[in-house]
Amino acid sequence: MTGGLVGILVMGPILVALIALYMLSRISGLQVIFYLASAVILIGALGAVLLPNLVHSALSLIATLLGVAAIYLMLLSEFLALVQILVYGGGVIILVIFGLMMTNAQDDPVVSDGSQKPFAFGVGALIAGLFVATALSASWGAADPTLIPFNVFGERLFRDFSLPIIVVAFLLDIAFTGALVNARRAEAASSGEATK
Amino acid sequence: MIPLSNFLVLSALLFAIGFYGVLARRSAILILISVELMLAAVAINFIAFATYRDPKAFTGLVFALFVITVAAAEVGLALGIVLRLFRERRSANVDEASSLKW
Repeated sequence: MTGGLVGILVMGPILVALIALYMLSRISGLQVIFYLASAVILIGALGAVLLPNLVHSALSLIATLLGVAAIYLMLLSEFLALVQILVYGGGVIILVIFGLMMTNAQDDPVVSDGSQKPFAFGVGALIAGLFVATALSASWGAADPTLIPFNVFGERLFRDFSLPIIVVAFLLDIAFTGALVNARRAEAASSGEATK
Repeated sequence: MIPLSNFLVLSALLFAIGFYGVLARRSAILILISVELMLAAVAINFIAFATYRDPKAFTGLVFALFVITVAAAEVGLALGIVLRLFRERRSANVDEASSLKW
C-alpha cells in the first residue's frame, strides 16, 4: 500500500516532466520512453537494495527486470526482451519469493561485525563515477542499429552457436540436478532428526 | 536514435547499485537479488554494443542470452544452498555462515 504510494509520488513528477518536455518538442517520443524505462529501472534497483523488508525488495526487483526488458526492446532485440520477461519476470522472481517464504524473511538481519554501508557506498560511487566518466568521454563512432528478425536469430543461433548451446544445456542439467540433490538431502537429514 | 552512451551510463549506474547491495546487505537472498541487478546491467551492455557497433557479428546477443541462462541456473542452485543453510543454522544471514572463516 505505502509502496504503491511512494512509487506514484516518485514516478508521477518524472512522467509529468517528460510529457511536458515532449509537448514542448524538446525531446522525441523515443527519448521519453527511454528516460521513463531508465527511471523505472534505477528506482526499482534502489528499492530492491535499500528497502528493509525483503518481500518489498523482491517486488521492487520485478519493476527493474521489466524495465530492462523495455530497454532490450528499444535496442531492437525482441527475442531477448521476451526471454527476459519469461525467465526473470516469471521464473526467477517466483524462485526468489519462494526462497523468502521458506527461510525466515525477516528484515535486514542484525550485523555482528559493524555496518559495511559506508564502505559499500564508497565503492559503489567509485564504480559509478569511473564507468560514467569513461562512457561519456569516449567517442563511440556512428551508430548502425539493425533489427534482427526472429527467424534469422534462431537460424544463426542454432547454426553458428550449436556447441555453446549444448554446453549451456549440460550446465542447466547439472544445476537442476544439484539443486534437487541439495534440497532432498537436507529434507532427509531434517526428517531424520525429527524421528530421533 | 538514442546515443550509445546513454545505455552505457544506465548500465553503469545499475551495476553500481547492485554492487552496493552485494557489499552492504547481510541477507543471502538479498545478495542474490543484487547479483541479478549486476547481471542485468552487464546484459544491457552486451546488447547495446551488439546492436550499435556490430549488428552483423551477432556475438553480443548470443552472449546476453547465455548470461540470462546462467543467471537463471545460478539463482536456482544458490537458493537451494540458501535453503540448506537455513535448515542447518536457522538463519539465512551470511554472517552466520562463518565456519570457513579463520
